[in-house]
Amino acid sequence: MSVGFIDILQSLIDGILFGSIYALIGLGFTLIFGAMEKLNMAYAASSIGGAYVGLGLATLFSLPLFLVFLIGPVAAGLISILVYLVSFRLIPSTNHLGSLMASIGALFFIDEVIIHETQGSPLTFPELGIFAEAYFMFGDLGFRGDLIFIMIFGLISMGVIIYLLYYTRLGLATRAVSQQNVAARLCGIPIHTINISTFVLAGILGGFAGCMAAASVGVISPLLTIPITIKGLIAAVIGGLGSIRGAIIAGLMIGGVENFFLLVRGVNERDIYVFLLLFVFLVLRPNGLFGNEINRD
Amino acid sequence: MISKIKSLKLAALAFATVIAGGAVADTIKIAGWGAKSGPLRSFGVNSEAIIKAAIDRVNENGGVKLADGSMAKMSYDYYDSACNAEQGIAIARKVASETNALIGIGPTCSGVAAASFGVFQKKVGDSSDTGLQMPLLTDTAVRNGLAKISQWTFRNTPNEPDMYDKLFAWIAKTNPEIKTIYGGTETNQGHSAGTYSKVIVQAAVRHGFEWVNGPIDEVSGKIGSGFKNVLSSSSNWLMEDTNFSVQARAFKKSGADLFIVSSHPFTTCGFLKELSRMKGMPKMMVGLTSSSSAEVMKGCPKQAEGMIIPTSFAPITAAAKEVAALAAANGGSADLHSAAAWENVMIIKDVIEAVGITGDPSKVKEERAKMRDGLEALETTEGLIGKVTRVQDEGEALKPFVFVHAKNGNWEVLHDPRK
Repeated sequence: MSVGFIDILQSLIDGILFGSIYALIGLGFTLIFGAMEKLNMAYAASSIGGAYVGLGLATLFSLPLFLVFLIGPVAAGLISILVYLVSFRLIPSTNHLGSLMASIGALFFIDEVIIHETQGSPLTFPELGIFAEAYFMFGDLGFRGDLIFIMIFGLISMGVIIYLLYYTRLGLATRAVSQQNVAARLCGIPIHTINISTFVLAGILGGFAGCMAAASVGVISPLLTIPITIKGLIAAVIGGLGSIRGAIIAGLMIGGVENFFLLVRGVNERDIYVFLLLFVFLVLRPNGLFGNEINRD
Repeated sequence: MISKIKSLKLAALAFATVIAGGAVADTIKIAGWGAKSGPLRSFGVNSEAIIKAAIDRVNENGGVKLADGSMAKMSYDYYDSACNAEQGIAIARKVASETNALIGIGPTCSGVAAASFGVFQKKVGDSSDTGLQMPLLTDTAVRNGLAKISQWTFRNTPNEPDMYDKLFAWIAKTNPEIKTIYGGTETNQGHSAGTYSKVIVQAAVRHGFEWVNGPIDEVSGKIGSGFKNVLSSSSNWLMEDTNFSVQARAFKKSGADLFIVSSHPFTTCGFLKELSRMKGMPKMMVGLTSSSSAEVMKGCPKQAEGMIIPTSFAPITAAAKEVAALAAANGGSADLHSAAAWENVMIIKDVIEAVGITGDPSKVKEERAKMRDGLEALETTEGLIGKVTRVQDEGEALKPFVFVHAKNGNWEVLHDPRK
């Protein structure tokens, strides 16, 4: 099938809109890295886990389905606390590899729990009400209502997080812990409480992203966990670990790149180019788009 | 007191004799394996639920008749092969060498079947081949032509080439306005991609339907011809994808009369929703056999409306309705894959009674060979929706099937090609 300019433009639009989900997950990765300089690999699994808990509770208690979008993020925040306790709090802070491996373990543990509780079957997930069916046409170009909603939410989240980090006492404390852990402790900042707050905040954000990812296809499946983990992590790395705006911009960019190569090279080559992009950044710009300077030998 | 002790000694001696061999068993064991973890876990869960229901039914009716006329109960163990080839092979080896299971049922995934059938002895009686010598009767793995890998492996799975051939013949006859086709599949799922490129598109071409962008190179309608070109000419996705905008747009842009959507429920629903959102629905849609499941009807009944799928199971007979109810009662659901597990248990019971099995653990090797011969000799078996013809030299089945379509949130029978 021939590929025209409109097709390319449309695929970029669709990809950028869908990249909002990667952006939200990347934002979570970057928040935790920014606070602790550690990667929480179980982050996307916690996010999807939260969405599952939301769906489960709403179904169990016959709650209105829109509540899934409230319960899911809260549940993801709580799962994130558990992940923090077992993968970070209990492991010596200097043992970065230990925390990384523990969080990878937590990722697979959460994934397996989901698989066993749901028998691995995809479950119907409530869609975003009026946004789900909304499809706006501007000339030859189409825009999905639900993805526009997610993108706007992502941008608002970015604004809220920047506000929290730079204009509140919690943000001041978080930045202090991030910059000089020992000095922050000497100043009386409860670092574990601050870390937990960061995990909860990231978890809530991720829970919302998990709900959005599931709502965008109308089903939730354990198959979502690994791809979202990988793409979210790439967004965080390309954006610059610790950079909030970087995660958002890189997430959107990854969505666009992914969809563009899907269009022109097909599904079997699509991810090659996304990983190639990551490789290029790691070699040529290891600190990402907006990350702090990383010294090279 | 002395007589009591004597009696006890005699009883113990009799028990020891039975244990030592030369006696009949009171339980006939079979082994099942399939995906009970991972994304395809529901397939294993459904199969196990139905194996359990079928064995319960056999035992409620007195059990299975052994060679000496006594009755034995049936029992089963079910193992998780997780849709993983190495795990499937390990289970096949374990069951064959460490258990007294007379026969196996499984596995779920065609990839596991293709790999694990290879560790069975290829040709019966070949002393140079030390492969596993235990019969296996597959319920789910459906990819075309797997049973012939070994003479110990048999399948009671639908024959997709036959099903899609009949389906497109029927569509061509009843819907002459449908001329052009276009499609896509999950390329990282062996059954979806293989059946799509080697079977479904070929069947359509064979019956005169035209690929919307002109003929695909090397595709003649013969099974498997130019299948790589079919895949490269289509708009495909992966099993774990959630964004189908590019593919749905390609389908819509193709303007074909008939879309072929060859995928499992998770992505089928995601794709159909995107297509529907773009208002790209075609005049007709054909789906993969595995999508004629309850999951699609739960996930996207509105968008799947009208999709036609050939299936070897539908609750159209009293027996099929009963199995569907029993599956639900056992925590599973009956579909074209899992319902075959019921038929398999009943086939095994009939073969045990026909070939004269003692269940004596010391004769397990000999009796497995008898079971194999018994399975190979079968010309027909009773299926849930009709008689099943055995293709004896290939170990395969020709199962009756119907065409169902999604209508008002259910899979309803659209046409029964036997009528």
